[in-house]
Parts: sequence; structure tokens; C-alpha cells
Amino acid sequence: MPWTFFRAKVREARICLSAGRVTLPYPYAPAPPAPGFRGLPAVDASRCIGCGGCVSVCTPGLVAVADDGPRAKFTWSLARCTYCGRCAEVCPEEAVTLSADFETATGDIRDLTMVVDVFMGSCNRCGRCYRTQTPLDPPHPRLQHEARVEAICERYRPAGAAAPTGAEVVS
Amino acid sequence: MPESAALLAALASHLDGRLVDSFRLDQSGAVVATVVAQDLRAAARFIHEGLDARFVISAGTDCRPAGQGFRVDHIFSQDRRKTWIVLRAFTSAEDPKVPSITPDVRAADWAEREFRDLLGIEPEGHPDPRRLVLADDWPAGLHPLRRDVPYDIHPEPAAGQAQPLAPPPGDAVTVPIGPFFPVLEEPVFLKVFAEGEEVVGLDYRGFFNHRGIEKLGDSKLTYNEVPFLAERICGICGFVHSTAYAQALENAVGAEVPLRARYIRSIVLELERIHSHLLWLGIAGHILGFDTVLMQTWRMREPVMWLMERITGNRKSYGMNLVGGVRRDLPSAEHPEIVRVLDRIEQEWVKVIEAVLEDTTLLMRLRKVGVLSTLDARELGSVGPTARGSNRPIDTRIDHPYAAYDRIPVHGVWKDSCDAAGRTLVRLEETLESIRQVKQLLAEMPDGPIMLAFEEALPPGCEGISAVEAPRGEVIHYVMTGENARPYRWRVRAPTYANLQALATSLRGMTIADVPITLGSMDPCFSCTERMQVVDVRSGAVRVYSPAELREMARSGRGRGGAR
Ligand code: SF4
Ligand code: SF4
Repeated sequence: MPWTFFRAKVREARICLSAGRVTLPYPYAPAPPAPGFRGLPAVDASRCIGCGGCVSVCTPGLVAVADDGPRAKFTWSLARCTYCGRCAEVCPEEAVTLSADFETATGDIRDLTMVVDVFMGSCNRCGRCYRTQTPLDPPHPRLQHEARVEAICERYRPAGAAAPTGAEVVS
Repeated sequence: MPESAALLAALASHLDGRLVDSFRLDQSGAVVATVVAQDLRAAARFIHEGLDARFVISAGTDCRPAGQGFRVDHIFSQDRRKTWIVLRAFTSAEDPKVPSITPDVRAADWAEREFRDLLGIEPEGHPDPRRLVLADDWPAGLHPLRRDVPYDIHPEPAAGQAQPLAPPPGDAVTVPIGPFFPVLEEPVFLKVFAEGEEVVGLDYRGFFNHRGIEKLGDSKLTYNEVPFLAERICGICGFVHSTAYAQALENAVGAEVPLRARYIRSIVLELERIHSHLLWLGIAGHILGFDTVLMQTWRMREPVMWLMERITGNRKSYGMNLVGGVRRDLPSAEHPEIVRVLDRIEQEWVKVIEAVLEDTTLLMRLRKVGVLSTLDARELGSVGPTARGSNRPIDTRIDHPYAAYDRIPVHGVWKDSCDAAGRTLVRLEETLESIRQVKQLLAEMPDGPIMLAFEEALPPGCEGISAVEAPRGEVIHYVMTGENARPYRWRVRAPTYANLQALATSLRGMTIADVPITLGSMDPCFSCTERMQVVDVRSGAVRVYSPAELREMARSGRGRGGAR
């Protein structure tokens, strides 16, 4: 028995010694994530058309939308993000990307809160603002850009016709 | 399944023809037999003993909106026949009660207490009247899984309902462990009864971290949101849950997932098993005070985590599954890197196994520790390496093939030593088997789509069952479709739920110093608040030991004679 025990210890020592140094110099040197990594979502506000697709697919429901006069405010409470990337997948304007940013620890929750303020389309007949189509309702809104001039709200639209997109981004 | 007809005929003749209804769930490989509630116990006993089926889980369902009162399903597995047997009974909406099957089927203990807590269906004749899942201050009579209870209810805490824990038998001393116990995944409170150094009994209180996930799934989330929540059931093997959920729903509605997606699921599942088993060996070493094992196995594991980040987008909680397939392809350009990482782990792992098999000190801490006989493992419904270390030849990949496991050979690993050493060896060898499987799956992966276009308007009332062999054992999900693109009922059973019920049996006769590794040999989770409090019930004296002291006691053999 003592002999096999000794041999086991030699084997174990060999495993340890052959490992070499494995500790990375991070955080003193950057440690970029692998390609394809899904980090903190970043929203390009100039592209967002306020369709609400991200609102409806986000499992933790972290994108809150509030109507504020002619504007819609999308508040992203990214502290609750699960980094699933569904928002980026569904966004018809490719406004959302999952960045390589993984250093999200913070003592201030506002660092993880992002507000996208979108000017919503107003009706060409009555001038009122209305909610544009979501990408979940066919047809796809990207095909509807030509319809901008036809931007009219539900009251003037023939029953069943799809709402065109007409959002303009102000911030 | 001509066998299912024979099975139902045998059950009907045992009940003198009193079978209310029966049907098959073909894609799930299940037969559903409905009996009158009074026959439940006789039928369960017959299925368990006569048909040699293993008890898996019970699910209660509130069917009052359909005018059917409450429903109880006891799910069994006939492993060698690749069949699930669902024993079903309905009970009245006003006074829901069914005869308890626990007196005959010991493994049903927790499952029945759970539906009593969550749905208010009384298992009559159950030996344990205490709560299992609900917190002590949750009001009596409020059953959160009933359809008329909202998911976001915050009731006023009720006082004076503390659940009594069992008194120590005879002269035994109580050793409370918890409520945050290091080796387990969730906070648990164990009351270990010891005579001198020897454990003579155990009482358990857990579920402090019950998150109401099933409730969220059937009242808040939609079909394709549930996989992301399911994945968060476990912090190590989350992919098994999203796979099991997606497969159960696919089975329910008869969706044929593209073959390539099934291969990718199997590959990710096996990679997850590899990193989980590596992690587990490290923790086992740590519990035994041999931290070199921890350092080295975690070093070997890290490249798998990087690999996962690369192929799925995250180290953990991959977000890969949706109902109908997977979201990311595994392009052939990635294959050489996967094979390279696996080759390196394989080389080192063979050396680790050689070292462990000769390390007599390590083996002395594992042999004849946490003994669980083959019979007990069967009776208590143990699964995974816990069961296989007790010579139970069950492996869901073989018994109920899913994903791509019907396309490749799966070599099950079981050991007959029925102790912690057996469970260790099962995991060591399974890791090599998983490496082989991933390589074969990569080599044979077919081209094609990875996602089936999935229409959310699914017909309500479809049922599906799916099990996945997680690193810790069989995970089972049951789904019944409902309105508003969300499940009507979603039932989850994680392997630890089954394995923990065998703890009392496998601890009996062990020493207190062996409690951590006995637990650890069943389930590998760890938090760093390792503390144990020894209370002498006669004097009430309290002494708190630090981990270092405990390890020191274990090494030197001090601490004999119980509380000091
Ligand atoms: S990544 Fe997922 S969790 Fe995060 S905002 Fe997008 S959809 Fe929501
Ligand atoms: S355009 Fe993209 S970011 Fe803007 S609301 Fe729609 S899905 Fe969300």
C-alpha cells in the first residue's frame, strides 16, 4: 500500500508541475472575450424606430416604455439583463447589438440604466401621434419605409391595414 | 408501442377493470392511465412493484377552469422499456384529496407534500404532515399554484406556523447544519442526530430559496421566454433544463426538430457534463481537505468554459435553446478548436484517474462512506451518478433517448461499491465517455437547418414529457400547453430533488466528519459559508466550528464523543 500511495503522490506532483503558470494578468492587462460573446446590450438611439419589439421579447421585461406626449421613452434597466440577445435578434432596425462589455459591476444602478427617447410618427390627417407597428405583426416594418407619407392613424386607416412606420429619432 | 397495450391491460386487470381512461403520448413515449382516486394507491403499488417501474415525480394541476377539479399525476419510468407511465386521477374542486402512495412508494414522499403545499391537494395517509416547500410564514390555506392565485401576490406573513423538526431519538445529540449548507446547491437546514460520533438519524428542512418558477412559467412568460428562465434553475447545468423544457413542448405538439439542432444540443449537453464533473471532483477534493485537486481540476476545466463562451456566447447560461431548435449554429470552423481542447483534457484526465485510483488516503475517505444500497437507491428514486454508483443501470440517454443520443452509442458507467468512491469513479469515467461522444457527434453532424419555424398559436391541452440526463442525474419536465402562448402547467424536477431524499439513508452509521463528503458525493454545489454548529440538547451549550477546525477534527480523529 505505501508504495502505491507514494506513486500516486508522484503522479499528482507531475500533474501540478506540468501545468505551468496559468494565471492571467487580468485586470492589469485586458482580457478580451471570445468572438461571439454576448455582453451588455448597446442601443443605437438614432436607429430605433420605437416599434417595441425588444419590449415584448425580453424575458426579464427590462425595457419599459412610457408614452410622453409625442415621444416614447424606452428605459432599459440593464441590471436585470440576462445577456440572451433576444432584443438584438428581433430588432428590425439592427439598433441593438450585444457588445463585448462584461465589466458591468457598479455601485450606481444608473450606470446600467439607459433611456432611448424616440419621436413617434404623427398622423398626417389629424396630427396626433400613434404607436407604430411591431415587428411581430406582419408585414415586416422594414418593407414599409416607402409608406412614410401614408402615415395615418388607426381612425383613418381601412380596417385591417397595417400601420406604417414613421418614427423620427430626436435623441 | 404494442407493449403499452399489454401494460394497460395488466393494470386494468389488476384493478378489476376499473380503468377510467387511457391514452398514449407517442412522441414523449408515455402512456397515461386514469384511475378513480380510490384506486390510486393500489395502482401505484402495482406499477412500482408489478411493472418494476421507478417513481419519478408527481404533478398536481388545477383543472377547475375546465370543470374537472384538481388532477394528480404520478409519473413512473419503465427504464428498460423506454416508457413513461403517467398514473392520473381527478379529485373534487371543493375538497381535493387523494390517497397517499408514499406508504408503498417511498420516493413519492416529497412530491406528495409538494402538491399539498402548492395546490392544497391532501395526500391522505401521508406519514409526514409538515410543509415541504412553503415558507413558515406563508398563510395557511393559500396555495400559490392554484390558477386563481396571482403570480405576484405578497401576502401578509403569518405567525406561529414554524414547522417542528423531529426530536432526536433516544440519547442522541442534535447537530444542526445550515440553513446555508456549503456542499449543496440551495440553502438547506439539516438536523443530524448523532450518538457520539455516529450519525443515527436526520431531519430536513429546505426550499428556503423557492422561487416560484413553475408559477411564472404558466402565468407570466410565453413559450419562448420559458427556456431562458428554465436555464436559470441551475447555476452549473442550466442547459439541461432549457433542453428538457423545449423537448417537452416539442413532444407535446409533435414538432420535429431538425437533426442538426439535435446534434448541437447533445454536444452542448456533453460539454456541460464535462465541465460539471471536473468542477465536482475539485469540490470533492476541497471538502476532503485536498485542495490541490480543486486547483488542478478547475485549471483543466477553464478551457471548456472559454470554449462555451466562444460557441454559445456565454460561459454559463448559454441562451441557446428555443422551442423548435437552437439559436446558434456550430460551424465546422469551430470543430478543430473543440477537439483540441477535449484532447488536452482527455490526456490530463487519464493521468488524474491513475493518480486517484492509487491515492490510498483519498480512497479511504470515500470507501464505505455514504453507503446507499442498490435496493435503497431504487426505492428512493435516486438518479444519475448517485444511482449508478450504487449499481443501478439507469441513464436517461439510454433509457429515454433524446436529442442525438439515438444516433450514437452511449456507454453507461455503473459501479457496484454503493458508496462515495463508486459515485466518484462513475463521474471520472463518464467524463472520458462524454469526450468520446462529443468527438463522434462533431464528426457525424449533418448539415441542415437548426431551427424549426415555430408558430406560437399552439393548440391548448397538449401534453409532453421530456427527460435529460444532467450531470447530477435525470431532469424531467412536463408541459401542458395553454392559452395566450404560455404553458397551462409546467412541472420541473431536478435530480437533486430525487437524490436528497436518499441522504438520511446514506448518512446513517457514518461519522459526523463524513457528512460533508456524503452530501458532496451526491451533489456538487458549494458556497463558502462553511460552518457547523454543535448543540448539546441537554446543556444547550453552543460551539461553532470553523471549516479549518472541522477539517482538523476530521484529520486527527478528534471530536469523538459528540458535543464538547
Ligand atoms: S439581452 Fe435579453 S435580457 Fe438583455 S435586454 Fe436583451 S432581451 Fe432583455
Ligand atoms: S427599433 Fe429595435 S430598439 Fe427600437 S423599439 Fe424596436 S426593437 Fe426596440
